[in-house]
Amino acid sequence: MNALPISEDLVRTLSLTVVITSVLVVELRRLKLSAVAYVFQALLIVALLTSYARVNHALYWWAGTALLTKAVLIPWFLFRYIRKTQELEEKPLVGFGPSVVVAAVLMIGFFRLTHSQVELLAPSPLAREEVFRTNLAVASTVFVLGLYSLLTRRDAVKLVIALCLLENGVHLSLVSLAPGLSETALFGIASEVVVTVFILLYVIEGVYREFGTTDTFRLRELQR
Amino acid sequence: MMSQSVVELPSALPAAIFLLPLLAGCVVLAGKSFGSGFSRWTAVLISGAMTVIALVMAWQVLGGAVLVTWGNELRVDGLSALMAVIVSGLGFLAAVYSIRYMEHTDVQSRRGIVAPGRRIDLFYALLLWCLGTMVWGSVTNNIIMLWMAVEATTLTSGLLVAFFWDRRALEAGYKYMMLLTVGITFALFGCVVVYAAAAAMGGLTGREALLMSEVRGVAGMIPAGTALIAVSMLIIGFGTKAGLAPFHPWLPDAHAEAPTPVSVLLSGVMIKVALYAMARTVGIFFPTLPVITLFAVALGAFSMLLGVILALAQDDLKRLLAYHSVSQMGYVLAGVGLGTYLGVYGGLFHLLNHALFKALLFMSAGAVIHATGARRVSELGGLARKMPLTCLAFLVGGLSIAGFPPFNGFMSKLTVYLALASAGMWWAVAAAILASVLTMVAILRKAYLVFWAAPAGDAARWESVREVPATMWIPMMVLAALCLLFGVAPGVGYGLLHQASMVLANVGG
Repeated sequence: MNALPISEDLVRTLSLTVVITSVLVVELRRLKLSAVAYVFQALLIVALLTSYARVNHALYWWAGTALLTKAVLIPWFLFRYIRKTQELEEKPLVGFGPSVVVAAVLMIGFFRLTHSQVELLAPSPLAREEVFRTNLAVASTVFVLGLYSLLTRRDAVKLVIALCLLENGVHLSLVSLAPGLSETALFGIASEVVVTVFILLYVIEGVYREFGTTDTFRLRELQR
Repeated sequence: MMSQSVVELPSALPAAIFLLPLLAGCVVLAGKSFGSGFSRWTAVLISGAMTVIALVMAWQVLGGAVLVTWGNELRVDGLSALMAVIVSGLGFLAAVYSIRYMEHTDVQSRRGIVAPGRRIDLFYALLLWCLGTMVWGSVTNNIIMLWMAVEATTLTSGLLVAFFWDRRALEAGYKYMMLLTVGITFALFGCVVVYAAAAAMGGLTGREALLMSEVRGVAGMIPAGTALIAVSMLIIGFGTKAGLAPFHPWLPDAHAEAPTPVSVLLSGVMIKVALYAMARTVGIFFPTLPVITLFAVALGAFSMLLGVILALAQDDLKRLLAYHSVSQMGYVLAGVGLGTYLGVYGGLFHLLNHALFKALLFMSAGAVIHATGARRVSELGGLARKMPLTCLAFLVGGLSIAGFPPFNGFMSKLTVYLALASAGMWWAVAAAILASVLTMVAILRKAYLVFWAAPAGDAARWESVREVPATMWIPMMVLAALCLLFGVAPGVGYGLLHQASMVLANVGG
């Protein structure tokens, strides 16, 4: 059915697991566990990139960069920071039960939508073919889940993790959308995220010291 | 498609203008042993050199050339040259202004990001990097690098916003970095979609599809649905960074809490770089998607009105000015987004003018804060006699932003009105004029309260207030003179503005 030297079943399984880890990242309220789920997702993404790289060898490079930035550096910053502050995420705007339902609906609905409407996002013949089509649907689903958690969470650290989800979504989409992107651009995009996370956590550490909390809803000094 | 032949001139200047400050920033950070004077004079010197390079580039562009470097990777046309001149010129004035400002006790005594001894060096290193990344964004031709440069401006300026490291600064810094990074991730998605579509439909190779000058030629082949998705992502992404309503809530916090020389750059320059990025990328689709025009003008009109309405209620001098930036960016967007030659010309002219008068207003507000230590309008009063130069500067800036003849804001706003009217968008003209009247009310009333009215509280408190030092008022006077110059003789900027407008309006039809 497909001429690509990629096992479709493997990619499907990995993709599905990536989506499920996103839901875990969003829903787990223990920040450490959430970060662990993030690391797990990062490793899955690396595995996915490696399997895509059999078609497009430039992706080996991307996989290596992703391993270093997403599975090593960013989690390292996160764990170091979580140790210094609080363990449990500030209560989100949406309770656990409803949130799981919303996340599940978003996940299934958005995946189906993007999978059937891929032409709109990616007018290239390659992206319409299977595995790349699934990849694009996974990427946009991860993006939407990241966005959902950005909108409903109030803990600063959780928001940083949500931001990383958002970035993961975009980075995954590069596989289908921009296979010919140069190494410099890929490296730039990946390192930019690392620097962003580092600086954000540095500022949040200051916030925690001054305000005694990472609840972003209590940052109201400037509205007085 | 191009109405005039373009001579591509290989040149090292586009690379030099952004590599210089980036390297100098590293040197400043490493050069601790040279003493604190080293970093500030390096910043002044380097930003001065950038201004000279930018002017030389502008001169060459005026001669009909387009400067290219590294195989079209960097490309300076009229629009890029205009941005480079604005970024470097204001960077230089802000650096001069900061020399004495950063000596203020506030800078030394408030909690800071690092120990007081290292604070000044870090400040100037970040300032130089910030200038470098902004100029890089202005000269690059690569859509992914443009995105990276805009994100890099956020990273370099984020710590400058949080520079004082107290509750207010940290809150502002956190919101600034978080909101802008989320926004800019949308823009990345948009850039990637543009790239993918151009590579697939336009038949460009991977490298060509990254270059905006190439993508433009094949924009017509990209399906409308895809283009619309890309455009929405780009508008959300770069629009957030440009401080347009409704993506503006970070702006007043960040622009008000940053040290004043940084506010000057944030409000005067950085939001323009984001708008420039938006115009460059979204502008690719102008001819194929006329609906963008309507959307851009509507967004601009909304921004003008909301910004100025929120400004009316502000008591804090710097927050007041920050809200006016939201409003004024609306004029720039409405003009540039219209896509006609007149609209783009008016929009870019207002972009230049806003850079001048907003920098001037922030500098004079900073001078008031520097001299009195107070920043609330309700506490201040009767400063006109104590600080005549600052008062003059604020008044010129206020009249300019209010669109009062013979100052520059009048000329550019008038051009935008005319452009909107000739496109038949009378509702937008009405919104723009209403916003302008409200701006006049808001800013001149505050100016009256600060400089002429009797202070509300203890008048003796301002007895010992004195005019700020020369390194602070000279940049203010230079800007005030430029505001007047561009108002009395708007033709002075015609050459460059015309070249810059042709870049965008050519596409607009």
